[in-house]
Amino acid sequence: MQSKTLGWLLLAPTLIILFFFGVVPFLYVLWVSFHQWNPFAADPGMSFNWATNYRQVVFDAQFMASLGVTAAFVFFAVVSELIVGYLLAQAFMKDFPGKAIFRTIHTLPLIMAPIIVGSIWKLMTTPSIGIIPHLLHNWFGYDLNIGQSAAAAFIVTIIMDVWHWTPLVTLTLIAALVSLPPDPFEQAQIDGANKRQIFWHITLPMIRPAILATVFIRLMDALRTVDEVLMLTGGGPGSATRYVGVHIYKEVFPRTNYGYGSAISVIVLYLTIVACWLLYVSLIAPRTSKKG
Amino acid sequence: MSDKTTSVDPLLHFDEDSPAAAPDRPGFLPIETNWFDRIFISVVIWVALSLFWFRFIEPLGPSIWISNAIALALAVLIVRKG
Repeated sequence: MQSKTLGWLLLAPTLIILFFFGVVPFLYVLWVSFHQWNPFAADPGMSFNWATNYRQVVFDAQFMASLGVTAAFVFFAVVSELIVGYLLAQAFMKDFPGKAIFRTIHTLPLIMAPIIVGSIWKLMTTPSIGIIPHLLHNWFGYDLNIGQSAAAAFIVTIIMDVWHWTPLVTLTLIAALVSLPPDPFEQAQIDGANKRQIFWHITLPMIRPAILATVFIRLMDALRTVDEVLMLTGGGPGSATRYVGVHIYKEVFPRTNYGYGSAISVIVLYLTIVACWLLYVSLIAPRTSKKG
Repeated sequence: MSDKTTSVDPLLHFDEDSPAAAPDRPGFLPIETNWFDRIFISVVIWVALSLFWFRFIEPLGPSIWISNAIALALAVLIVRKG
């Protein structure tokens, strides 16, 4: 009993901070989402309008389009990061010359602010001054112009995200791989299992919680990507890279439509929670037994 | 009380001794749930149904309150039998 009270006391500062910086802002956004509110309009007051903002959202073609491109962006970015991150983690499990330096350099993108990453990639992909269009033109005769080609802009945003966040996946998976006990692997080798069988039947099931945690983190981050993409493409060309985060930004800040922007934010939060929950249910939630 | 069939990672179930986390009985849902899980599922269905209603049903006439009533009935069913 005493240890339980002590536990709550030790948790209290975190819970209080989480309440004021997590729960209260969420409730405020939820409250604003049920209002018509443009503080810079002739009438700056908030007027309660029931669910009008939500009615507006489901008919907003631009929002629906942004959800579609966001889903594609999140899928390709997270899957690529998992595959590349796992391969790098496996590489870092082995010894090779310059491993320490390579691991440090590989982790550097993680410490960079997203706006800086966006700026760097903007410089690297700008035609006539960027290194990437220059090399692509010289090597393959391809003229990269993310200001004109929607597909190129979309792919470059994915590559940028993979470049920025793969180190996080690598570090998480290294931690998971290092903590694996050697016995099952030795037994599998004695039983004659090949590398593919060991991967599918031992490694993958054992690191599944780490993979799932990484996917959750990356999924949530990718769904709220704003600054990198805003810096690199501004959401364009057209609306090719207008991901939901960018859409919310453009709705809330230039147009100062706070009520409507809040409603979109709440729906994006809802979709994020549902996506994570579906992943949890499909991969690790314990199943009920069906008797008889 | 609980009817566990699979062993899962202890890190993912560190709070199983809390009343909200303890699965109480098998229901019609395919996964083990406690009352908080079932309320969460009900809220998820309520929001999804409301958005669907706004987009496809309300323009034809039926009020959103019908959707809310259906969602409430589903919530009661899920929380009691899920």
